[in-house]
Amino acid sequence: MEGRAVVVGVGESPYYKRGGASESEFQLACIAIRNAVADAGLTMADVDGFASYMDRNEPVRLSNALGTGDLHFTGQTFGGGGNGTAAAVALADMAVSAGYAECVVVFRSLAQGQFHRYGQAGKSRRAGGSAAYTSPYGMLSAAQICAMQTMRWMHDHGVTQDSLAEVALACFAHAQRNPRAVRYGSPLTREEYHASRWIAEPLHLYDCCPENDGAAAIVVTTAERARDCAQPGVPIVAAAQGLAHRGGGAAFTEDGFPTAHYDLVARQLWNRAGVKPADVPVAQFYENFTGPVLMAIAEMGFCEPGEINDFVADGGIQLGGRLPINTSGGNLAEAYIHGFGCVVEAVRQMRGTSTCQVDGADLSLVVAGPGFAPGSAVLFGRDS
Amino acid sequence: MTTTGTDVTGPLPDDWTLPRLGRVNTEWFTSGKLLVQTCNQCGTRQHPPEEICHHCGSMDLGHTELGPNGTVHSFTVAHYAVNRALADAVPYAVVLVTLDDDPSIRIIGNVLDADPGEVHIGMPVTATWVERTDENGSVQLIQWVSR
Ligand SMILES: [Zn+2]
Repeated sequence: MEGRAVVVGVGESPYYKRGGASESEFQLACIAIRNAVADAGLTMADVDGFASYMDRNEPVRLSNALGTGDLHFTGQTFGGGGNGTAAAVALADMAVSAGYAECVVVFRSLAQGQFHRYGQAGKSRRAGGSAAYTSPYGMLSAAQICAMQTMRWMHDHGVTQDSLAEVALACFAHAQRNPRAVRYGSPLTREEYHASRWIAEPLHLYDCCPENDGAAAIVVTTAERARDCAQPGVPIVAAAQGLAHRGGGAAFTEDGFPTAHYDLVARQLWNRAGVKPADVPVAQFYENFTGPVLMAIAEMGFCEPGEINDFVADGGIQLGGRLPINTSGGNLAEAYIHGFGCVVEAVRQMRGTSTCQVDGADLSLVVAGPGFAPGSAVLFGRDS
Repeated sequence: MTTTGTDVTGPLPDDWTLPRLGRVNTEWFTSGKLLVQTCNQCGTRQHPPEEICHHCGSMDLGHTELGPNGTVHSFTVAHYAVNRALADAVPYAVVLVTLDDDPSIRIIGNVLDADPGEVHIGMPVTATWVERTDENGSVQLIQWVSR
């Protein structure tokens, strides 16, 4: 593990339904960061860097308020939203591995009660940029964008509505074992899934992530520093971010449409890690919506697109199946913290402390938001 | 409000969002023609228009008029109104159309003469234009009718 950055702390705020938090978004960030630093057995003065994606809570303000050490690194990814989840971990990995900083907190805080709701769209007189080509026609939300991608992908590969349901059913089943999950105690049946209202065809209500309030954080440091920490270090085996030329484009004009934007990420990640998809026993796939998760499973190489119905059927992506995914309940049923709960859960799988622990798992994958470019992924390992 | 080729203006309210005109999109949104941006140096077409040719890097860009026929490549039917102003508009279909003259060009729109339940992948459509006006001026929005 020499020279490889290691995750030594994880922390969360309480997770709430949208508008359920009495704390502000900034306070939620502070709570999650404090919890992660304490979990690591470090003090706030040890923290010398911050990384995130699309977050409003500036490192300057966080550092002032929390009493960090001198900051040596801050970084945030470009583009989209949840597709940067794993790329933010990669930023910390780079900063620590290259020696720019020694103890970087990666975090995301999101209070949709306090701020803009992701499921809604404002009304502007005029829309510019790429929205000029979509907003005038009522193509306005992430759900509608992913519905457009999913509709064509299902058509091309014969994917069934039941396969979309399998993603939601796995998330809700796993959440029933996780007391932190917002949907703990609220199981979902296949009948309830199919009976739920359409949001944007082919996406039902339960295909869509909820709006939540909460924050999550991890602490990344050097292997050397990790030896003195309170928790076993979880090494970052490999991370990748990728976008082919013309692979992203405004208003569905990207080459390869429909794509989850994971072909190039997969090639880099498996190459860099020296493992193949079949070696991975557990994965967290950021579910903005169920359809793009299926697309990402195939693009990451777990099966061919035409095999996805069989891959997810019969509990294939639930605990005990061929690839358990979203073992905390994920965005759909634990909480939508813009996917950062997926990173925390992936680390717990390597510590052996998940509420849906995959026995003997020695690799743990996070695939960030699908359907938006550039995609990113990170693979964690076990301290040996 | 006037339209060309149809007397239906689409599923959204008359005062719904219009495109903001800028450096490269004015012809697309005001000509009432299917003018696809084309590089004057190398002939590469690109949509949406950009400030530079993605193939050769030239900033000398013109347009090619393509034929109006297209095919629905994908679609969604929006049932949830993401803005209060759309409460009476849902459910409405949004289509992604590829041009028969150049299937690499994909365009978002609505099918003006079809109910949401009639829209399907592979549906043949043809372009039409809807004129819309607000305090900033007029635009010609490309839209689609079945053929
Ligand atoms: Zn050119």
